[in-house]
Amino acid sequence: MQPPEVSAGETPPTDANVEYPHVQLDDLRIYFEVGGGMFRQPLYVKAVDGVSIALWKGETVAIVGESGSGKTTLGRAVLRLLEPTDGRLLYAGMDITHAWQRDLMWLRRTAGIIPQDPYSSVNPTFSIYRILEEPLAVHRIGTTEERTERIQKALENVKLNPPDLFQAKYPHQLSGGQRQRVAVARAMILEPEFIVADEPVSMLDASVRISILRLLRQLQEKFGITFLYITHDLATARHFSDRVGIMYAGKIAEMGAVSEVLGEPLHPYTQALIEAIPDPDPQNRHRDRPALQGEPPLLTVPPPGCRFHPRCPIAKAGLCDVEEPPLRELRPNHLVACHLAS
Amino acid sequence: MPALEVQNLKYYYRTRRGPVKAVDDVSFSVEPGETIAIVGESGCGKTSTANAILRLLPRNVEEYEGHVRLSGEDVMEYSTEEFREKVRWRGISMVFQGAMNALSPTTRCGLQIAEPLMVHLGSDREEAVAAAAEGLKNVGLSEDVLRRFPHELSGGMKQRVVIAMALVMKPNVVILDEPTSALDVMTQANIINLLKNLQRDAHLAYVFITHDLGLASELADDVAIMYAGKIVEIGRASRVYPGPQHPYTQKLIHSVPLLRGESAPDFIPGAPPDLTDPPLGCRFHPRCPLSFGMCGWSAEDLQSFLELRYRAASEGDRLGAAKFDQKESWRLVVTPGKDVSPQALVAKIQALIQAESSKSPVLRAIEKVRVGSNKVEIVLYEATIPELLGEDGQRAACWLLTEEGRKRAAS
Repeated sequence: MQPPEVSAGETPPTDANVEYPHVQLDDLRIYFEVGGGMFRQPLYVKAVDGVSIALWKGETVAIVGESGSGKTTLGRAVLRLLEPTDGRLLYAGMDITHAWQRDLMWLRRTAGIIPQDPYSSVNPTFSIYRILEEPLAVHRIGTTEERTERIQKALENVKLNPPDLFQAKYPHQLSGGQRQRVAVARAMILEPEFIVADEPVSMLDASVRISILRLLRQLQEKFGITFLYITHDLATARHFSDRVGIMYAGKIAEMGAVSEVLGEPLHPYTQALIEAIPDPDPQNRHRDRPALQGEPPLLTVPPPGCRFHPRCPIAKAGLCDVEEPPLRELRPNHLVACHLAS
Repeated sequence: MPALEVQNLKYYYRTRRGPVKAVDDVSFSVEPGETIAIVGESGCGKTSTANAILRLLPRNVEEYEGHVRLSGEDVMEYSTEEFREKVRWRGISMVFQGAMNALSPTTRCGLQIAEPLMVHLGSDREEAVAAAAEGLKNVGLSEDVLRRFPHELSGGMKQRVVIAMALVMKPNVVILDEPTSALDVMTQANIINLLKNLQRDAHLAYVFITHDLGLASELADDVAIMYAGKIVEIGRASRVYPGPQHPYTQKLIHSVPLLRGESAPDFIPGAPPDLTDPPLGCRFHPRCPLSFGMCGWSAEDLQSFLELRYRAASEGDRLGAAKFDQKESWRLVVTPGKDVSPQALVAKIQALIQAESSKSPVLRAIEKVRVGSNKVEIVLYEATIPELLGEDGQRAACWLLTEEGRKRAAS
């Protein structure tokens, strides 16, 4: 099999000695059909509409967007929990865009997911031991003793000490942060190479969030896992990822290294997003926060041209509302989809 | 005169495991046109404080006392009926957490906003709906939202409807319980701007409840940091943010991931305590990086420390205790094992204090060790709860702020 082409600006980090990306999305599109009838044309919700990202082994890429931007759909499609409508999805160079589920058991073993809600993502009648054993049982891995050892190890890795104590507990006996650690342990139990973390800390307290994110970072460094971190929180993305992609209405608006995108945001949407988030500062009290008016567009009939133009403070009539801006590499490894950025 | 003054408010409720001290002796006040932000982790009593102010109590309430003064008038004296008529929604209204998802799905928004006017003021329907239209205009919505159902609105619009509901009776005080927690950042910024403008126009006093210090700084003139049912630090935002005095406030500020500044965020190890059995003394001391002997260690803490310390010890290195007995919270009686004399046990404990008290604050809480006939008694300094200290601009409840505490911590 040929290694796939690497899209512009997606050169590998210097320390990685791999020739193709670990996970690659190539013009990926995911549409959902709505409102069709016997005599009616169906409409399509274009949740993800032409996204290309290459994830290199061992890096964390954050996808940041508001609700309805398509970021969760993207995360599910990357794990092939959804079948893409169009485009290509490659895993270590292998095309799995339309592979059958029964041919994807290896992917289920090597890729994990950390869900958003630690309260509803685990079976309340299972003990922590059983929660962690289930993936091993499904994949028929190990004898009882080997499984026990692996479960204890996983609990130690997520700092639920002593493991003997925690494996006997039930989810309701744990705090939100501890439950999320169990979810991390479950995602890690099959020793995956790739993990999609979909808003893993948005339900947790501010002080606990950092401990979970730091744990993920440590595990990543220890085991060299590739992370796709899906979030609406630009501040945690800044501290816990290497690269960031800003998503708006199903498309990538801007992508690059965290320091580049946040240090010199090129897309007006990224700029507005940064402006809208307050850091703790008593001076905030005395001024209004700059914020965009209006709402993100309906994804059934997205606006023509640039999808952001109806809310854009610098949109140019005759250009932005007509022609769709391509994602171009304006700075080295820093891509932006805006006609006017320079 | 403050628009709202809360003094020594207490609100405990019963559970099978004993009373939960959700709000324990809380005092603060808000001037008209100003905001106090109440900030803390979940489960520290922020929402319970709001419910206690509005007297929205469950049936299992154990204790409910203190003063709530509305423009000088103590409304705790009011009967239930009087409170409902004069205070709730007219004097103090509230934007509940997640209220936008609790709008009635089958009632048009106009009627939902108008309802309190018809119930409280006995307005007729037309009058009330006209006032609702006015209310919608104030929150930046057009009049046709009157005839819409909640499912036809976006999250930001629904939150605006909820705010219009809270303001329709023209209260002086509005309690905002996480008013933007379910919204996107852009919508959040718009709602916060709206709240700022409404406050300016109507001279409203806000009690703003949030766990996000960044968001709190958008509205706060004053900040109250709550931990385990108590206010541990309170003062002007302009003083507390740049110079937090309580270790919990310091930790909380450092746990915020900044979008602009350089410093990396840190977390607070451990979890808030169980409020049926809060720690003695300062409730934060088991998680506090600066804790020392005075902070409120109990015999129970000492026992679990000793057990944990010697659990993995080898045969010759054991403490040699057969039994622990917590007589009082400040007195631990240790019975030595079969072949151990009480004197040997004391020597062992003394050596432990010598060697490890610098890194284990619980050992510094030991006042003296006494030898009995066949028992050893360890006496701890008595635990007392620190009071809020300092001048009016900024007060914090920490032993390190007292002369004696500083001396003891240094020794």
